[in-house]
Amino acid sequence: MTDLAAVDVTVTLDRSPVVKGVSCAVKGGGWLALIGPNGAGKSTLIRAMAGLVPYGGTITLDALDAKAMRGKERARTLAYVPQEPTLPPDLTVEQYVMLGRTPHLGYLATPGRRDRERVLAAMTRLDVTQFAKRRLARLSGGERQRAVLARALAGDPRALLLDEPTSMLDVGHEQQVLDLVDELRRDAGLTVVSTLHDLTVAGQYADTLVLLDGGRVVASGAPRTVLTAPLIESVYAARVNVITGSDGHPVVAPVRRPSPELHDQP
Amino acid sequence: MSRRTALCAAAAFLVVAVLVAAFVGAADLNPLATAAALIDKAAPFLHLPTSLDPLDKAVLFQIRLPRVVLGALVGALLALAGAGYQGVFRNPLVDSGMLGASAGAGLGATLAIVYLGGAGPQVVPVAAFVGSLAGVAVAYATGAAASRHTVLSDGVATLLLAGIAVGSFLTAVQTFVLQRSASDIQAVYSWLLGSLSAASWQQVTTILPYAAVSSAILLLHGRHLDVLAVGDEEARALGLRPGLTRAIVVAASALAAASAVAVSGLIGFVGIVIPHIARRLAGPAYTGVLPLSLLIGAGFLVLADTLARTVLSPAELPIGVVTAFVGAPAFVWVLRGTRHVGT
Amino acid sequence: MNTPLRLAAFAAAAAACATALAACGASASSTTPASTTTPASRTTSSAGSQAGAASATAAFPVTVKAGNGEVTLKSYPTRIVSLSATATEDLYAVGAGSQVVAVDQQSDYPAGVPKTSLSGLTPNIEAIAKYNPSLVIASQDSGGLVAGMTKLGIPVLIEPAVATIAAAYAQIEQVGQATGHAAKAVTVATGMQRQIAANVKQAGASHQGLTYYWELSANPFYSAASSTFIGQVVGLFGLKNIADKASKPSDGGYPQVSQEYIVTARPQIIFLADNQPADGGQSPAIVAKRPGWSGIPAVQHDEVIGLNDDIASRWGPRLPELVGEIAQAVEQASK
Repeated sequence: MTDLAAVDVTVTLDRSPVVKGVSCAVKGGGWLALIGPNGAGKSTLIRAMAGLVPYGGTITLDALDAKAMRGKERARTLAYVPQEPTLPPDLTVEQYVMLGRTPHLGYLATPGRRDRERVLAAMTRLDVTQFAKRRLARLSGGERQRAVLARALAGDPRALLLDEPTSMLDVGHEQQVLDLVDELRRDAGLTVVSTLHDLTVAGQYADTLVLLDGGRVVASGAPRTVLTAPLIESVYAARVNVITGSDGHPVVAPVRRPSPELHDQP
Repeated sequence: MSRRTALCAAAAFLVVAVLVAAFVGAADLNPLATAAALIDKAAPFLHLPTSLDPLDKAVLFQIRLPRVVLGALVGALLALAGAGYQGVFRNPLVDSGMLGASAGAGLGATLAIVYLGGAGPQVVPVAAFVGSLAGVAVAYATGAAASRHTVLSDGVATLLLAGIAVGSFLTAVQTFVLQRSASDIQAVYSWLLGSLSAASWQQVTTILPYAAVSSAILLLHGRHLDVLAVGDEEARALGLRPGLTRAIVVAASALAAASAVAVSGLIGFVGIVIPHIARRLAGPAYTGVLPLSLLIGAGFLVLADTLARTVLSPAELPIGVVTAFVGAPAFVWVLRGTRHVGT
Repeated sequence: MNTPLRLAAFAAAAAACATALAACGASASSTTPASTTTPASRTTSSAGSQAGAASATAAFPVTVKAGNGEVTLKSYPTRIVSLSATATEDLYAVGAGSQVVAVDQQSDYPAGVPKTSLSGLTPNIEAIAKYNPSLVIASQDSGGLVAGMTKLGIPVLIEPAVATIAAAYAQIEQVGQATGHAAKAVTVATGMQRQIAANVKQAGASHQGLTYYWELSANPFYSAASSTFIGQVVGLFGLKNIADKASKPSDGGYPQVSQEYIVTARPQIIFLADNQPADGGQSPAIVAKRPGWSGIPAVQHDEVIGLNDDIASRWGPRLPELVGEIAQAVEQASK
């Protein structure tokens, strides 16, 4: 249960500012979803939280400045899953998940019994134990995604930073993964920060949304207050209708521009 | 094959190779007498009668055995260095001579042979050793300086390119020096093609400390190389320091390769093929590939040297020729079986 | 010895020799042995050839059959360029020293020769032409030397490494003919013959029991078998060469051997032609310390001989010196 807060975070990449003074916070066990158009700075912000890019401003974990933490300490607290994780094709699932224990191993240490237990627990949680000895290349997309999450979990993190965890998955697998993350959040008290491009899905799973545009926060709060047609239309330059779904969550429905009449053609 | 099985098999392979090499050579030593002499040396308390006369014993223990041991050391070091570089660069086409290691050694040896020929035969190994390390240092510094201006993930590619550039330059200088001194061409090329004919216990003890240190460092960083396999960014997120790991592994691999090259000249294919064989046997995890490469590399070079000194006995084939002859087809075989290029 | 060749040389220079012999005979005593050639004795021989200058020029034009075929020299060559260390020694020994304008970087004997940066291994045609030579002598036709010189109208003699001792004498005589010192050359050759014969007589010619190893290089180890020129020189004393068993037709008499082979052959004499620093620095002391070599008879009885690498690799007028060193070693080893 780690509180994560970003205060006035600025990130400059290749001499151009990508994140300009963003502030947001999520309480321990909460789910914060970052949404916004392409290039809004969502991935960069998450990478800053993971300590992978230099940033201005402050990011705190349980009120401790993340910059004061050493790399390994931060790795033990946060597990980062990038949008396109590198999966060495010939590594077995078990070997890959074991990499998640790295933050807990001393410099010259080799994995011991406790590490093997945690790896088994993570694989069981993600239902990939039957693939333990199988090579990553021989897994389907959904199975691979679960292996990646198992690796993240194996490190016993207190917070998960997920960058577009479902952009490659079909609707069924997407729900599977997000349901699982939600389960983990509630069972283990994990704090979740994720970027999600699907606005409706973001509204269904996160309890706080932060809408970014051009590196700045345009709106933040409960999904109901952020997912409004005027906001979305101005930020995304799209035409949408926002309706309330059967489960009470907002549904963002795109609206198509009327097409020209056929009899107007010569 | 499980890692344990593979390691046992590789160790057995090494033992067999060493035994074959000990019993075979230009000096036609009686096998039984040789066996008796070897056992007697290993277990003197047995007081076995030796029927080898003193001269033949000298051939066995002063000429042949140090050569076998040196061959095993050199093979192990080259294979380890190759595996280390492959892990750091996440590229299976990398050899132990990369980053200017071979080119630097070649230039060092050439300068020694051409300009310091009068200083005695000890100069060349030292010059080759220094040249090899210098080559890697220059390539690494060049690559690191260049990659400071590029995105993190390109650091590896930049390093490789810097190595190629530095290597080409050093080779060009070597060719220039050689062309101006045509009478040394044969001596230099003999060295370049690789040979263990000057092997002695003194050479073994000279490179042993460097071999031990570099091997230990490399073997202890297998786990780190496995983490590096997921890329610099994810590795950092896992708490590793990719730049530091790379520097350590490159330094250790350079030291291993330099020690080997100093006593044996340039021997190709060992650094690139043996790690692949190790991978085929027990998977891509470096915690397995490194020790396997050490054992298989040692056995392979011992056999290659045995072949080199018996096929045209008493003439000797340059050992680089033998490893190429055997290594090239082996490499093709390995490539055909590898379905995925990349770590 | 090879009489037909000598007779041919006599026939070609018969007229000149009749008068030259008288003058040459006076200077012959002060110019043998060739190894003690000093500027003083060179002056003597040129004084001698002054008397025979008239007869020398009368010997031209002369045609000789060199390594590159028949070469005709139209007149007495006044500007000679030598690209071969052996040829340089030959030239000075036969009295043509005053005609030599440039020698290659490997030519270092006798002292004071006009050494230049010319190379016999990789000759530069233009650089050679700059000396305006009337004759060029080399030991191999590399880099298109013959073709280049022919284009410039400069006569070239290729005097390659010889295969027999008789051919060495013939080569010296040929150099003499081509430079107008045919008679002197014959004298030099005769002198060499006599000295060598004396050495053989003293040390004995039948030492079949003695084995030897001739080292040309170490790591890789190259030796000379008895079929080579140097093998024949040592063969004058009847020694057995341990490299003979290792020699195959393809290696031209220069087999590569390994340490195991050398040691187990137990040679009683070891000749080192690579002991000078420039050639490998394998001095007798270093060789004796090679691991595993201490049990070899040659090492045990201190019969490891470091030869003058230059003399051992040339086939010129200092050959008797080499034979003398070998004779000494043989005598000592047979005690």
